[in-house]
Amino acid sequence: MMATPAYGPRLIGGLAFGVMAVFFVVPLIFMIVVSFYQPDPMGFYKVDFVWENYAKFFSSFYYTVSFRSLYSSVLGAVLVVALAFPLVLFVSDLSRKWQLFWIIMLLSLMCLSEVIIGFAWLILMSESAGMPRLLGWLGLWNDPRSLSPSFGAMMIGLVFLGFSIVSLILYPSVSRRDRSIEEAAVTLGTPPALVFFKVLLPTFRVSLLSVTLTMFVYLLGVFVMPTMLGRPKDWTMTVIISDKALGDANLPLGAALAVVMLIVTMLVLVLAAVLTRGRRT
Amino acid sequence: MRNLYLWMIALLLTAPFLVVLGVSVGASKNISFPPEAFSAMWYQQLLTETEWLAAIGRSLLIAVIAGLISTVVALAINYVLWRTKSGFAKMTFALGLGPFMLPPIILALGASLFWAEVGWYGRMEATIISHGVFFVTLPLVIIARGFAALTDDVIEAAQMMGATPAAVFRTVVFPLIAPYVFTGFALVAIISVNEYLIANMISGFVVETLPIKIFNNVRYGYSPVVAAASMLFVGLTVTILLILSRVTDLVALFGTSKDT
Repeated sequence: MMATPAYGPRLIGGLAFGVMAVFFVVPLIFMIVVSFYQPDPMGFYKVDFVWENYAKFFSSFYYTVSFRSLYSSVLGAVLVVALAFPLVLFVSDLSRKWQLFWIIMLLSLMCLSEVIIGFAWLILMSESAGMPRLLGWLGLWNDPRSLSPSFGAMMIGLVFLGFSIVSLILYPSVSRRDRSIEEAAVTLGTPPALVFFKVLLPTFRVSLLSVTLTMFVYLLGVFVMPTMLGRPKDWTMTVIISDKALGDANLPLGAALAVVMLIVTMLVLVLAAVLTRGRRT
Repeated sequence: MRNLYLWMIALLLTAPFLVVLGVSVGASKNISFPPEAFSAMWYQQLLTETEWLAAIGRSLLIAVIAGLISTVVALAINYVLWRTKSGFAKMTFALGLGPFMLPPIILALGASLFWAEVGWYGRMEATIISHGVFFVTLPLVIIARGFAALTDDVIEAAQMMGATPAAVFRTVVFPLIAPYVFTGFALVAIISVNEYLIANMISGFVVETLPIKIFNNVRYGYSPVVAAASMLFVGLTVTILLILSRVTDLVALFGTSKDT
């Protein structure tokens, strides 16, 4: 608007940047620094420069945990997107009133605490209150038993948690899509399933891939679902990091593990950025 | 087929909360569903026991101030970007998108180490600031939509009439973007009330917020009070979003704009 930026905007911009830098970037840099410190069983850490904490990562225990984290996050991300994409397609064709209903429901779920969602599923899968009891009552399950903690319960929790986020991310582009090709295909008598696989999936291939990567990164960092709904042998890297930091008071090791996760996240984000760029050119 | 899928998903998304609702109004001391007798005792306990009340109060206080911090920062970044279109402003905007893209555990651990070094570990102010900064992304993106919807002619008219930049902002720009600012504030406040991991790692052992209290209760044997507390959350979240849907056009904000 203005030809020469005045003093005011620069000051405001500088302050906003300062807040973000001090409270968002500096903590991350400090975490990287701490990952080279020596753990101190009596206190927090001893200032030092060692690779020891990273060396610990290269052991069979952390390999197993990393593999498990990657596996459950990838599986979760794929499931979330596979379930959410058809929903968003359907919702975007509903009347405005029902679209609002779905948006409010999805927004509520997105905002709702992991703790509460985890607790709700814990009850729903418990022997005394949930599905096992219902199945037992219906006579479908002779010996109803609690379904959690288990790997399946944890995955349900993760998928539930990501579902609203993915739906809301996909919603704008899906509802704004050019419907002419689908309509043409339907007019020509193409079955809906074929329209989905031949028209809609290819159109949204890149956004679906990018939202899957976003979800993967998100699920990598979920803490509550594995602890509430999973068994200790399902625990992901996030749980181990928090355990190291709060439980064992080995902050440098926790920091090193978090830095490894940060690197993986960055690589995935770069990959996502490259993919989206390819679409524009 | 379409409706079947929609109903199935709607059922799956709401079923857990229906069960929690059932448990919270049941008279049984153990978690059981369906309830055999109804009672409001768990809600009564939730709203009379000082420990629960204190947790609710703390959570709300953190949420409101964190919401204000987030909204002010997001508004500042957007305003400067809109006024100057400079590279610095774009970089600040990109920085604001960062927290949303990283797994929360990384933010939480970074913040907890940072506050320990500063000496604010375990203080509520630390949780408030970190929530405010980490949740800036949502208001940032929403307020950007507000600025994008501004048309130049209104502002040019005001400038031609001799209004200073501050006056233009106060009398023309702010009233037009106010719904977006309010939406951003409300969303951050709701997310902050619900957030567990960051709050727990920064000051969880001293400042017990409602999610932390619920989590600890679930871990060490729980009573239906937890169900009542959860329903309080669900009610609060849905109510605020319903109010929001009156203030802003949520369908337009998250989906299609009306003109296209």
